[in-house]
Amino acid sequence: MELKINGSTHQVDAAPETPLLWLIREDLGLTGTKFGCGLAQCGACTVMVDGMAVRSCVTPVEGVVGREIRTIESIESDALGQRVVAAWVKHQVAQCGYCQSGQVMAATALLQRTPRPTDAEIAAAMTNLCRCGTYNAIKTAIHELAAG
Amino acid sequence: MKKAMTCLALGGVVLVAGGAWFVNRVVYSPLADAPLALSPALIEKGEYVARLGDCVACHSVAGNPPFSGGLEMATPMGSIFATNITPDKRSGIGNYSLDDFDRAVRQGVAADGHRLYPAMPYPSFSKFSDDDVKALYAFFMKGVTPADVPNKQSEIPWPFNMRWPLALWNAAFADSDPYQAKPGQDEQWNRGAYIVQGPGHCGSCHTPRSITMNEKALDERNANYLSGALIDGWYAPSLRQDPNTGLGRWSEPEIVQYLKTGRNVHSVVTGSMTEAFNNSTQYMSDDDLGAIAHYLASLPGNGKDGPPWTPSPAPVAWSSPGAKTYLAKCSSCHGQDGRGQGQWIPPLAGASSSMVSESSTGINATLNGSDRVIASGLPDAYRMPPYRNQLTDQEIADALTFVRSSWGNQGNAVEANEVRTLRDKTDPASPDPIILHMR
Amino acid sequence: MMDSEHASVRDNLFPDNKPVNISRRKFLLASAGIMAGALVISFGIPIQPARAAQMPKPFVPGTRVPAFLEIRPDNTARLLSPFIEGGQGIFTALAQIIGEELDLDPAQFVVENAPPGDDYKVMEKGGRFTGGSNSVRSSYTTMRKLGAAGRLMLMQAAANEWKVPVQQLTTEPGKVIHQPSGRSATYGELATAAVALPVPDTDAVALRDPAQFRWIGKPVQRIDVRDKSTGKAMYTIDARVENMLYAAVQHAPRLGLEVGSLRNEAHVRQIKGVHAVEWLSGAVAVVADRWWIAKRAVEALQVDWLEPGPQSTARYMSAEFSTEAFVKHLGELPGEGETAETKGDVGSAISGAGKTVSAVYHTQNLNHAQLEPPSALARFDDAGNLEVWLPNQAPDLFLADIARQTGLDPSRIKLHSPLLGGFFGRHFLYPNASPYPQAIQLAKAVGRPVKVIWSREEEFLRDVLRPLAVVRFRGALDAQGTPVAIEAISVTEGPTEGIANKHGAQLDPTALEGLTGKRYDIPHKRIAQLYQQTHVALGYWRSVGNSINDFLYEAFLDELADTGQVDPYEMRLKLLRGNDRLTHLLQEVAALSGGWKRGPFTAEDGSRRARGVAMASPFGTETAVIAEVSIEHGKVRVHDIWQAIDPGSIVNPAIVDAQVNSAVALGLSQTLVEQAVYKNGMPVARNYDLYRILPPDLMAKVHVKVIESGAKMGGIGEPPLPAVAPAVANAVSHLTGQRIRSMPLSTYTFDT
Repeated sequence: MELKINGSTHQVDAAPETPLLWLIREDLGLTGTKFGCGLAQCGACTVMVDGMAVRSCVTPVEGVVGREIRTIESIESDALGQRVVAAWVKHQVAQCGYCQSGQVMAATALLQRTPRPTDAEIAAAMTNLCRCGTYNAIKTAIHELAAG
Repeated sequence: MKKAMTCLALGGVVLVAGGAWFVNRVVYSPLADAPLALSPALIEKGEYVARLGDCVACHSVAGNPPFSGGLEMATPMGSIFATNITPDKRSGIGNYSLDDFDRAVRQGVAADGHRLYPAMPYPSFSKFSDDDVKALYAFFMKGVTPADVPNKQSEIPWPFNMRWPLALWNAAFADSDPYQAKPGQDEQWNRGAYIVQGPGHCGSCHTPRSITMNEKALDERNANYLSGALIDGWYAPSLRQDPNTGLGRWSEPEIVQYLKTGRNVHSVVTGSMTEAFNNSTQYMSDDDLGAIAHYLASLPGNGKDGPPWTPSPAPVAWSSPGAKTYLAKCSSCHGQDGRGQGQWIPPLAGASSSMVSESSTGINATLNGSDRVIASGLPDAYRMPPYRNQLTDQEIADALTFVRSSWGNQGNAVEANEVRTLRDKTDPASPDPIILHMR
Repeated sequence: MMDSEHASVRDNLFPDNKPVNISRRKFLLASAGIMAGALVISFGIPIQPARAAQMPKPFVPGTRVPAFLEIRPDNTARLLSPFIEGGQGIFTALAQIIGEELDLDPAQFVVENAPPGDDYKVMEKGGRFTGGSNSVRSSYTTMRKLGAAGRLMLMQAAANEWKVPVQQLTTEPGKVIHQPSGRSATYGELATAAVALPVPDTDAVALRDPAQFRWIGKPVQRIDVRDKSTGKAMYTIDARVENMLYAAVQHAPRLGLEVGSLRNEAHVRQIKGVHAVEWLSGAVAVVADRWWIAKRAVEALQVDWLEPGPQSTARYMSAEFSTEAFVKHLGELPGEGETAETKGDVGSAISGAGKTVSAVYHTQNLNHAQLEPPSALARFDDAGNLEVWLPNQAPDLFLADIARQTGLDPSRIKLHSPLLGGFFGRHFLYPNASPYPQAIQLAKAVGRPVKVIWSREEEFLRDVLRPLAVVRFRGALDAQGTPVAIEAISVTEGPTEGIANKHGAQLDPTALEGLTGKRYDIPHKRIAQLYQQTHVALGYWRSVGNSINDFLYEAFLDELADTGQVDPYEMRLKLLRGNDRLTHLLQEVAALSGGWKRGPFTAEDGSRRARGVAMASPFGTETAVIAEVSIEHGKVRVHDIWQAIDPGSIVNPAIVDAQVNSAVALGLSQTLVEQAVYKNGMPVARNYDLYRILPPDLMAKVHVKVIESGAKMGGIGEPPLPAVAPAVANAVSHLTGQRIRSMPLSTYTFDT
């Protein structure tokens, strides 16, 4: 199978139901995308597929062949990603950091589709769990980004 | 079909005794005195017949010896427990002769003459062929290991625990003849009809029951047959050619695939069907599965579905109360378009559970998730998680209402009190794969 | 200045010092960032025995500058930290503390966890572990002296080079300056010469006047946020080495069971990608090319498990155990318990009082539920030396355990301790709760490096739980409604005695802290423990006993106030009379919230709200919290948490603020939604589906007031947690009229 990840093409050999997460992490060595629950409950594995936030632990690879997959490793390859990371740094969001790849991807996907999200849209898009409780910092960073 | 017939309304059949001779008579077995050699080939055939009948689902519990009984079936009058059917001479059926065995399987009468509760699907099993009963007997006598696990007493109190009225019930509602090939239908159709009506006892779950708890039909001559029914908090959908609430949009190969692998592009086994798949249908031969599909495809729809579902171009109501919950909790797997992910995660768009008026399956799956589907010994890649601790009754009702009214689905709205009722009566599915062994 | 043995993070993660199959796996992006920074060639000279002999005698941990610091040509510093970073910000705090005295901007630091070794046993009372909110407060002065000594070495190197008296030299951040001649050199330029110099007596070095601090006490940016926001931070689960295989395990459904037989081993071995099926202690494992394959294959294994024999003394989970029945049992257990703290005569005070109150409270078991599932990587080299990567809070303890388990001399074991993807007390040395013994055994069995990852479901089967307690309270009030007596008998097993699997000669202080150590002036009191062992494996959970006991005590205190018909805030002030520090703290939190108002009142959005107050004294720090709540669709909504915290003095106010936010989140989580429940010997919840942790929409606004009273420095990571639950519970009790005597509140129903 051929996967398009962060602008380049990779051949992977895997059963069609294999979750995208494990191919990203183990076959491609892109370990920024995290395994948290394997059940679409926490969002640590969030990547973007054709611009949409997707939980890669419940994404069978056969469904994303030929689509544009973007992981945290390429987050600063465009202006929006750079802005999101800058906001995360400015507001000192991360603590243990384990969920933050997913948080940044979810935020970037939201802002890419909806540059000026409402509070309700932010709440609807930012459902990833953070055990360190960085929710308020995340909220502050996104509201600032949403304000332009 | 585990726990099938749990709602047996015994009170409805407590009638004036129609004659003691009738209810206490020794029923006739055509296999009395039939000579039988319990050969390895016959034992092996019997094991296959036991798979067709899914005996293990009720007569075994995980962690106990195979067929040593114990599965609890709740009835309104108290729990009853599946019995030990290992060849143990004290606790099991080790002392059964072939005709004792036959009377139990096909007529619901135990060796000591007491009537079995029709939780044992003998109204269907009566269609077993003589040969299959012999094979089954061979397997249970020689293929199964004796286990001295005592039976648990039923918790049904007097007078409802009297068994003799069941004889009258049987006389009224149970067939007593083995399956007869239907002239004018080909061999494959007849083989399919035999499995579906007899050993497979599909109607135990999929055929609606009347007030007296008997299945409204036992074969295709009646349009109620396999037309869908509520069972144990799940809705077993129509297996007829209804395009939206039945199998009308499934090809025969897709039916075979579903029964063989537990999944196809339309659906993944859920609820009680997961157990039927894990323990029974996947073990059936391709020929038998083809026959089942062929037979089911011959059952006409009831005409109430309207035109077949197609993806609706109408915009999805993202501002509806359930949409927020759907996006947060459901869409990662089932998709914002409700289409699921290939055969791995089932679609909700166009799914019979989204279209049928009974909403139990959606509610139950959302509250409790689903049991692991184990195909060819390999547990499923993705499981449905239980949401009972994350979502309120209202949130679940709203999310399901959203699902049932989006993407062309035409299911009715779900009320919070329906969720409440099922929440109290059910438990979450285990995340562990559960395997019931037959040997 | 660095032991070359510990050359860089990159070496740690890729011990061959070369990327693994880089052409095939293409993980360049993943290994950029902090790793790239560490690629700068190290010039540190190994500490020779001869040079070690020059060290001040006797050897004092935390003094050998080269064991901690490497100054590189680019003027960045690599610091080996005695304390592990798990989100609490210790790497940044140490960069601030050492940078302050070394005179190097903390932003110039790259910090990694130090390997095991005596150099790093820097805690005040000896030893080395990260926990108990001890890191900064137990090493603050030592680390300052270390930085100061490093600065002196760099100055001495410059003095030698320029042949001028060291007294004529000064420093600016990152460079040494000779004012008279106008000469200057960067630390990077001087490092090679400096590292060869003897380390000055750290007790004799002069420390900077706190009034002149540039970085200590300032909201310096965390040094790890950028890497953690771009996927570059590396955790144990991310570690990879050449030729590595992956393993997944299926644990026995209940602790204490062992593998009896496998029904379908041959079938599972034939699954494509599977290398091996192995029996482990209380578990089976599959080793495969890819973790996903191993995970599915190990789930497919059909195992017959054996119950332990009658002689077994190991911790055992019975098939009959259920949390509900156990709590009931604790409630019915007779006995007065063993006294941990007593004053006056509680019995007489209560029997002679006009008004008395008694109530039974209980708390729930909790999982750690850190986002990073446990993992461990082990590999043996051809000589049989072992290298292990594992998440841990105490490298020396784990190294010793590995040596004991393998029989290898510790010198033949190299331990790596990467960043922790969540802390919360999960990574202490708990029996059966960590995958490294499995990784070691599997690596040995298959002859290749093996990384074991526990699925979330397996983690929830073997995580150690925060204890639960049933506590019987009695209290008495005087005519003014002021408490004059309080008794608490906690029926529980503490985490320390749970880990030891026995009730020691002395009470487990972590069982009762938060019932003991309360600051209120109540003339008669008795705090006791009635020990009752549970089947559940126990461990420490952020803020440990305080996470349970301050809830119980402070909620009961409000019950006393209500019985005495006095305001709970005023009552606390009265009980703190004469204690200026805590009186001030309580007044500060009230002021922070705009003045104490208990309510109920109607908020701007029309909701009915009330506020509750509570205090706690955990880990050397004093805290006071006010919570504002309403009921929304029958569930508790916490709108605001105001917290005043007095840790004596602090290093980084921004990190303190973040830690308060974090502790509030965990405190709300246990108050509102969290509980670990067993039925039939199994945990009901095995993932975040049934085990809820606080989601974003239940987070409250958090307002923090840091008070630096100048008292002895206290902890930061845990102290802001304990007072959250009782403040919320007290507010809810007041708002709804329904007394809250247990957590979580999701088990209560409220009228909207």
